[in-house]
Amino acid sequence: MTIADYLAQNALRYPDKAAVISGGQVFTYNSLNQMVDERANSLAKRTPRDKVVLIRTSQDVDFIVSYFAAHRAGLVAAPLERDMPEERFQAIGQQLTGAYVPEGTADILYTTGTTGRSKGVMISHRTIVANAENLVEGQGFCHDLVFVVHGPLNHIGSLSKIYPTIMLGATLYMLDGLRSHDEFFAALDYPAPRAATFFVPANIRMLIQLSGEKLSQYTDRLDFIESGGAPLPHADMLQLCNLLPRTRMYNTYASTETGIISTYNFNDGRCLAGCLGRPMSHSRIVITPEGRISCQGDTLMTGYVGDPELTATVLHHDTVFTSDMGHIDDEGMLHIGGRADDVINVGGYKVAPTEVEDAAMTLTTIKDCICISQPHPITGRALKLLVVTADNQPLNKQQTARYLATRLEPYKVPMLYERVDAICRTYNGKLDRKAYKD
Amino acid sequence: MLEEVLPLVDFDSDFLFAELNSLGVTTILMTLADEFGIKLEAADATPRNLKTLDAIVAMVERKQKEQQS
Repeated sequence: MTIADYLAQNALRYPDKAAVISGGQVFTYNSLNQMVDERANSLAKRTPRDKVVLIRTSQDVDFIVSYFAAHRAGLVAAPLERDMPEERFQAIGQQLTGAYVPEGTADILYTTGTTGRSKGVMISHRTIVANAENLVEGQGFCHDLVFVVHGPLNHIGSLSKIYPTIMLGATLYMLDGLRSHDEFFAALDYPAPRAATFFVPANIRMLIQLSGEKLSQYTDRLDFIESGGAPLPHADMLQLCNLLPRTRMYNTYASTETGIISTYNFNDGRCLAGCLGRPMSHSRIVITPEGRISCQGDTLMTGYVGDPELTATVLHHDTVFTSDMGHIDDEGMLHIGGRADDVINVGGYKVAPTEVEDAAMTLTTIKDCICISQPHPITGRALKLLVVTADNQPLNKQQTARYLATRLEPYKVPMLYERVDAICRTYNGKLDRKAYKD
Repeated sequence: MLEEVLPLVDFDSDFLFAELNSLGVTTILMTLADEFGIKLEAADATPRNLKTLDAIVAMVERKQKEQQS
């Protein structure tokens, strides 16, 4: 069964129950299912060549309808960043036209590779259901829950929460970001017996800083919180436990390639830093002799679309080999260390510095540059572009940032800029990234 | 000062709040709180307070007066 099948089943079982709340409107299981049916019928009229449906993630019910309609029509959904530059959107469309996509593929999710080239990760319906079952068992998703989703739905962190919510006939409350904390608290007040949500660490920092007192009033409403995308600082973990003493709080190990692997409730009195818990029922973790985390089980990707060579470097022997370093403790719980590559994690978004540098070097005013990261009070890390300007011209930071925004997704545009006299390089001329590590 | 931490935001815009995401709003509030020694909360992040740069200046001046008294 697919999640779209569960939706149809729940439309019969709970026709009048709220499936989605979006823009202040309630969509019952029956009405949502009908909307999905109608859109699936129109999608089915497309030519068979267009097997993949590109969807800009609109963060509202329209996205949910398009997503499940693609699945119901036997097509593949490719949710893409809402603010992705049009040129990039078209390039992905061209890449996917006629690409080989195996039978049973549900989604193609785009993620950043170490080289800066976006990779289309193929996810099967079987994988999606296994992810949903992992979450139900590991975190306690249930039928009477309202799950508040506010993060971008082209990322597995937020997208994956739709699966168990719809599978169980629970309610999905959609918000377009966390700009308004009042809207977030209003969502938590929705009359359901319990509420839950997913945060990247930057969200938690924002809430603690600006609305900590109000958040503390929700410990009996908030059944659980999941945090993922980047390591949550231990100080924030402790503060969150103090604010919400009766809420379960999960740190989860997941990625687009591996699926949802393990989870740890850090509000257990011990609040172990860096701990990501035991593997869930559909998953297994193996640490390689070099200390890399590798994953097995039903939640793994099928491969990278159109790139079997790249797939073979990451997925072989039914195992996905990640670039994350980690170890398993005496209790069988996963602990994560750093990364074995140069990818920078900015508030849960992974950015390959080479992609930023390549875009910056297309500016004639830039002679040389390197993209590094530095600590940031909200996002944990922030991108910084060190620039050697052509002919020693002054660096116009805003102009540079705005130019980069025409070529990159917004989260890949550095927040900080500095003009320098030279960029450190290794003896063979490569960028010396180690020289800039803090 | 704000352009330094949010280089993509047009602070000359008459519709500044509409340009901001949650990170932008939080960054503005935290930067102003640090710089001017005032307490700002999520409730201060209203479209009215963050509509223009002038509105931000007015909010800071109001908060300074309130918190000094």
